[in-house]
Parts: sequence; structure tokens; C-alpha cells
Amino acid sequence: MIRIFPSLRFTSLLSAAKPLCSYSPAREPPQYASFTEAKSSPQTNSLSITPKTPLFLRTPSHATSLSEVWKWHDWAKDLASSVEESSTNSEDILDSVILHRELKWLIEDSIVDDPLVILHKSEIADNGEKNVKLRASLEELYDLWRQRIEKRRPFQYVVGCEHWRDLVLCVEEGVLIPRPETELIVDMVEELVARDEWFKKGFWADLGTGSGAIAIGIAKVLGSSGRVIATDLSPVAIAVAGHNVQRYSLEGMIEVREGSWFEPLKGLEGKLVGLVSNPPYIPSDDIPGLQAEVGRHEPKLALDGGIDGTDSLLHLCHGASRMLQRGGFFVFETNGEKQSKMIVDYMMSNDLKDCFSDLKIVSDFAGINRFVTGFRL
Amino acid sequence: MVLTVLGPLAGRSFAITGKPNLLLLRPTNLPLLRLSLLLPPPHFSSSSSSCRLRSPIFAAQESNLSVSNENETSEWLMQDFYTLRKDVEIASARVEEIRASAGLEQLEQEIANLESKATDTSFWDDRTKAQETLSALNDLKDRMRLLSEFKTMVEDAETIVKLTEEMDSTDVSLLEEAMGIIKDLNKSLDRFELTQLLSGPYDKEGAVVYITAGAGGTDAQDWADMLLRMYMRWGEKQRYKTKVVEMSNGEEAGIKSATLEIEGRYAYGYISGEKGTHRIVRQSPFNSKGLRQTSFSGVEVMPLLPEEAVGIEIPEEDLDISFTRAGGKGGQNVNKVETAVRITHIPTGVAVRCTEERSQLANKTRALIRLKAKLLVIAEEQRATEIKEIRGDAVKAEWGQQIRNYVFHPYKLVKDVRTGHETSDITSVMDGDLDPFIKAYLKHKYTLAMASAVTN
Repeated sequence: MIRIFPSLRFTSLLSAAKPLCSYSPAREPPQYASFTEAKSSPQTNSLSITPKTPLFLRTPSHATSLSEVWKWHDWAKDLASSVEESSTNSEDILDSVILHRELKWLIEDSIVDDPLVILHKSEIADNGEKNVKLRASLEELYDLWRQRIEKRRPFQYVVGCEHWRDLVLCVEEGVLIPRPETELIVDMVEELVARDEWFKKGFWADLGTGSGAIAIGIAKVLGSSGRVIATDLSPVAIAVAGHNVQRYSLEGMIEVREGSWFEPLKGLEGKLVGLVSNPPYIPSDDIPGLQAEVGRHEPKLALDGGIDGTDSLLHLCHGASRMLQRGGFFVFETNGEKQSKMIVDYMMSNDLKDCFSDLKIVSDFAGINRFVTGFRL
Repeated sequence: MVLTVLGPLAGRSFAITGKPNLLLLRPTNLPLLRLSLLLPPPHFSSSSSSCRLRSPIFAAQESNLSVSNENETSEWLMQDFYTLRKDVEIASARVEEIRASAGLEQLEQEIANLESKATDTSFWDDRTKAQETLSALNDLKDRMRLLSEFKTMVEDAETIVKLTEEMDSTDVSLLEEAMGIIKDLNKSLDRFELTQLLSGPYDKEGAVVYITAGAGGTDAQDWADMLLRMYMRWGEKQRYKTKVVEMSNGEEAGIKSATLEIEGRYAYGYISGEKGTHRIVRQSPFNSKGLRQTSFSGVEVMPLLPEEAVGIEIPEEDLDISFTRAGGKGGQNVNKVETAVRITHIPTGVAVRCTEERSQLANKTRALIRLKAKLLVIAEEQRATEIKEIRGDAVKAEWGQQIRNYVFHPYKLVKDVRTGHETSDITSVMDGDLDPFIKAYLKHKYTLAMASAVTN
């Protein structure tokens, strides 16, 4: 329980993180005992949560003169350029080049007119009196950019979405922002089903789905006959994932279920053809030193993997042996290097020995041994 | 004397406003006109001048000038006529030549072939192919139409010339009409010839222009920014759609790099010759001493090809794909929005980068399309039938070649190293007035291609 305190300290900055805290006992998933706790959480909870509408989907109900928007843009640019000098911590600083890119995207998401009108102010003869339609009020835009830079609020939470693979996923506080590395999980599944049609027909599960990114990516790869069950313990994640599934009209293929890990998959023992997960895998001791955007704003529930970060992963290994049918495939994301090796060793020993074949460590594009994959014997 | 000179001139311009198309033909003929007007016969009086003042309008309405015509009028009209007759002869020869080299019969045959294809019942089964066929058919028909238009135009002008000769009197309005026709015709012929120069397989496509500042810090970065602006202006002047899809700002001023997409027909054909190193010589605005400074910027141009049009497969093992690293432990530990992708084609060393998309996959997809487009263009340049045949060393030498100098100080001069074309009007050039340079280069390229075709 001691581990919960750092997370409380950080997340309490955010109102959106409150629901998480109340479920924090269930953060220790490997103990089967936690299932009972998870079960006790009322299923209806997620229904009461309405996901936030990302900036780019809001109705453009605000109008402001172009010159006012230019003024905001100049201010935002200056603020973005000034970050490096004002930073005291050289380890974890904002990069002004990237901030300028983010600013461009913020404009793309929040104004209806051609963003070039704002970005190339000097190139246009316009006198600035023209009105532009905005999806957020100018005050909100000032506020959002200040939050980005001063509070280090992640850009994806600021605009309410993350571009991931060919998807635009809604995200908000309480839901992990999908990482580019995780795109590779979908690539692996795509490769697999292209090789063997068998994988297209059975049940897949994405455990700890968060925004629903992997589940949606996989469902699209599987084609019309695919079935994916996406589970998450967090009611916010359930609401957001459900919303994203709906946005891509994949309700017929993806079922979002609330609960801890395998708990919502009762009755599917030995039936899954595929199991994927990006579980929390960061060792608890690393949590306080994380990049501000991650440590201060993203849900601990989705990051903290216990003392050595493997609590959830080990639990998933056992579950995989129970839930997958013969020949079924799994891929788990890990913290890399030592951890992936540990998982493979674990799966080759003790009671899991002889359960899996073709155990492999797959590295991400930075060469870090990020994923563990294999098949159920 | 002054009055009599001005009188007819004013009269001419008055007539011109009455008939809009005359405005077009006047400027070139003006020197000749002025010459004849400046030497009026001695008996010229103010009363006859007022009479002549009205005559052009009269002519325009009644198309019969001979009544009110005086000797001296017909004298300068005859001079105009001789010029016209000569122009018509030249244009006629030009049309003849163009029509002969266009292979009319072959063109007709091709059109017939494509038309029969388009009526086939299975034509729309493959939509992309059908679109391609239709657009090819349209192009051929356009060419055919233009070629017959040239003929009609030149014949019209010839008829007027003949008519005037037979009538032994001069009809101003008819002559002016003929002059207009010849002027329009020459413009169309120029344009036609230029598009003939743009017969490369990707010339019709839009273009991706990638500008990078050379070494030399702020001065070079400012220069890259100036070039970006120049190409944007050029695109706007051609009524192309221009879009800066990626831009990386310099620390103090200017840009480190930028990617500009230009959409519109023949954008690539025109601008492809801009690739290479551009050199500027000026007094540095970033140096308090205002020393003379030389900076460089690189420009790369690739066709903007739709995804499905890039029909080459590159073996995975030939590609070195590197991503922006999240840094440190990556994964859940880090949240960075930048997902830049750089792809190098290992056998040739040709590389592209894509940073503007918001997801890794989107950046990779776009980078791959760009890489393929670049390889296709290089293969085309080197007359290689396969990507394998591309010589990487030659790519480096050619794409980095210095092509143009822009001297702002101590004198003003823009000079193309390849064609020798130059101008001292550096302001217009920086404002996107690149057509003379582009034309000169296309002609130069065409001549080179012809010469090498002969030697082969």
C-alpha cells in the first residue's frame, strides 16, 4: 500500500484522476485476491462517465478576428521559444522545436479555416479584420497553451486526442496516451493474420485497453469476422475506449468490458486465439523520476508495475496459459531489456514450463527489447 | 508639330478602348506605329488630324476604311501590313513544323484506340486504370484540338492577308484582327512547345519541394526562408495550391528546413529543374559589420504522387528505417509527440525524412511514398530501368550541384549556372518571377536530351 502514496500525491493535482484513487487497491493485479475487490466495483460506474469531446470534434461556435488569433499565436510562439532558457532541470526539459510543431497541430485542431491563414501571417495581405471560426474560445486557447507549458500537461490531453497509426483516438486524463512503440503490436498481429487465416476467426482479447488503441487497431486488421474483447479496470478508460470503438463503428467487433485483467473473460477459458496487452510495467521506484508529462498527468494505474514492474506481466503469463487455445498467440509490451528477459525465463520455468512455444523477444524501433511474443502449446 | 504628333496617338488609344482585343496587340506594334507617326508628312494639318482621330472607330464599326483613308494613313498601314504578312508567314511555318512533328496520324490512331477501350463493358472494373485511360484520352484530345486550332488560326490570318492584297486597299479592323490572331497564336504555340518540353512521366504531377539551409548558421537559415517564400510566391502566381507541410525554425531567424507541397498540373515539370544548391551573396543582415557573406541552401524536388501511383516495390532489407527515439527507456516512460521517420535506401544512399504527420505509421507511410517518388525520378534521370541500376554516387553529385547564384551585393544579379540565363531584377525573382529561368532550363534540358539522342 505504501506505493500508492506517491501516486496519490501526483494525481491529486487533477480532478480527473479522482476516480482512480478510489480503485487503487485493485492496482495490485497479480494476487488473485484482487479479483474480488475488482468485482465489487459496480459495473454501472462507467456509464455515468461521459468522455470529453476532443477539440477537433467540437462545433466551431466561437468567432474571433484574425488579428486576435495572430496575437495569441505570437504569444504562444514566444512562450514556446522561451522554455529552454527558463528551465532549471536539464534532464527533463521541453523542446521548443517540438512545441512549435504542437502549436501548429493545436491550430489545426481548433480553427476551421485554413491553418495557413495563421501560420503564414506575413505572407498574407489580409488586414486581420476577417473573422475566423474557432472550436474553443480564445481564452480557452490561452489557458490550454499555458497548461501545456507551465503545468506540463501532455499535448494529447490538451487537444483531447492522439494520432496513432491511422487512427485518431480520443484521450483524456485517467487514460494512458498510446505510445508510438505500441503501434508495433498491431503490426505483429497484422503479419500473423496475413500468414494464417485461422487467427481471423476466433476471439482476441486486449487487456488493460486504456483508450482502446490496440483493440481497435487489431479489429481493423482482423477484418469483418474478427472478435475482440477489450477489458480495463478503470471506468474512465472503459468510457473512453467505448467511445473510440463507437467512433470507428466497430461495436459489432469489439466488446468493451469493465474489470480486472481476465476477470471479465469468464467462460472463455481455452478459447482465445490471441491475447495482447500493454500492462503497467514501470518499476515503482522509477515513477517519481518520470518525465513531467507522464509522472504528473498520466494514470499511475496504467504505469506502475510494482517493485520490479512485472506484477501485471507475470499475472498475464499465467492467464495466457489458461485462456489461450492451442496455437493461440500472445504479445505483451514490457519495460525492455532485463524485464523482457525475465518474462521469457519465467514462462520457461516452473508451472508454465511446456505451456508455450516460440517464445521471442521483439525489439522496438529504438532497439530496445520491448515485446515478448509466443504461442500456446 | 507637337499637337499633330499627339493627336493621332490619342486617336489610336481612343480606338483601342473601343475594341478591347486591340489592347493585346498594341504594345508590340507600338514602336513601329510611333515611328510612322513621328514622321508625319509636312502638309499634315490639325483639321485632317481630327478627321483621322475618328477614322479607326469608324473603321471598327463599318469595316470599310478606304473611303476616309488618306495617303499617309495607308502608308503606315502598309508598313503594319508588311510586318503582319511576315509574322503570318513565320507563324504558318511554325504551325506546319509543329503539326508535322506531332505525328498527327499516330495521334488519331491513339485516340481511336483509347476511345474503343473506354467503350468496353469491363472498362470501369478497374477504376484507377479507367481514370488513367480517360485522363490520357483527354490529354490526347486536347493536343489534337490545339493542333487543329493552330491551323484554323493561321489560315484565318492568311485569308486576311490575301484579302487585303486582292482588295488593294487596307481595312484596319481586319488587319488588327489578324494581328490579334497571330499574337494569340504565338502565345499558344509557345505554351504548346513548353508543354512538349514537359513530356517526362511525372511532369504533369504536383511537386514536393524540400528546402534545407546549408552550413553557416543564421545567414543560411534566413536564405532558406527566402527561397521558401520565393517558391510559395511562384506557386501562387501559377495559381497552384501551395502548402507548407513541415517547417523547422532556425534558432535566431529563418528555417532549418521546410517541405512545400505544390498541387496542380505540370507543377513538377516546371519546378523540377530547381533542384540543386542555390547560392546567395549579400551583406549579412545578421552581422553588425555588414560583411559580405556567401550562404547556400539545398533544394530537392520530387513529384507529388498519389499513393497508388507509386507502383514500385522495394525489398524491406534495402530500407533502413529510423524513428525519432523517445529517449531513455521509451515506452510508457516517455511521452513525446514527435514521431519523425527517416528512411534510407541502402543500395543508393538516397534518404527522405517525414516529420509532419502526427503518428509514426502516417510518417512512415508518407516517407516511403516520398522515397519511392525520389527513386523513380532518379531512375528516370539516369535512364535506369530498375531501381537497382541507380548509381548512388551520381545522385549525390547531381542533386547537390550548384545551379544558381543570387548576388545582392556589390551588384544585383541572378544567374543560372546551367543555362547562363541572368537578370538584374533580383526583387522580381525573389517575388516568384521564375518563369524565364524555368523556360531557359527546360529548353536547355531539351537540347541536351536531343543532343544525347543523336549521339546514341
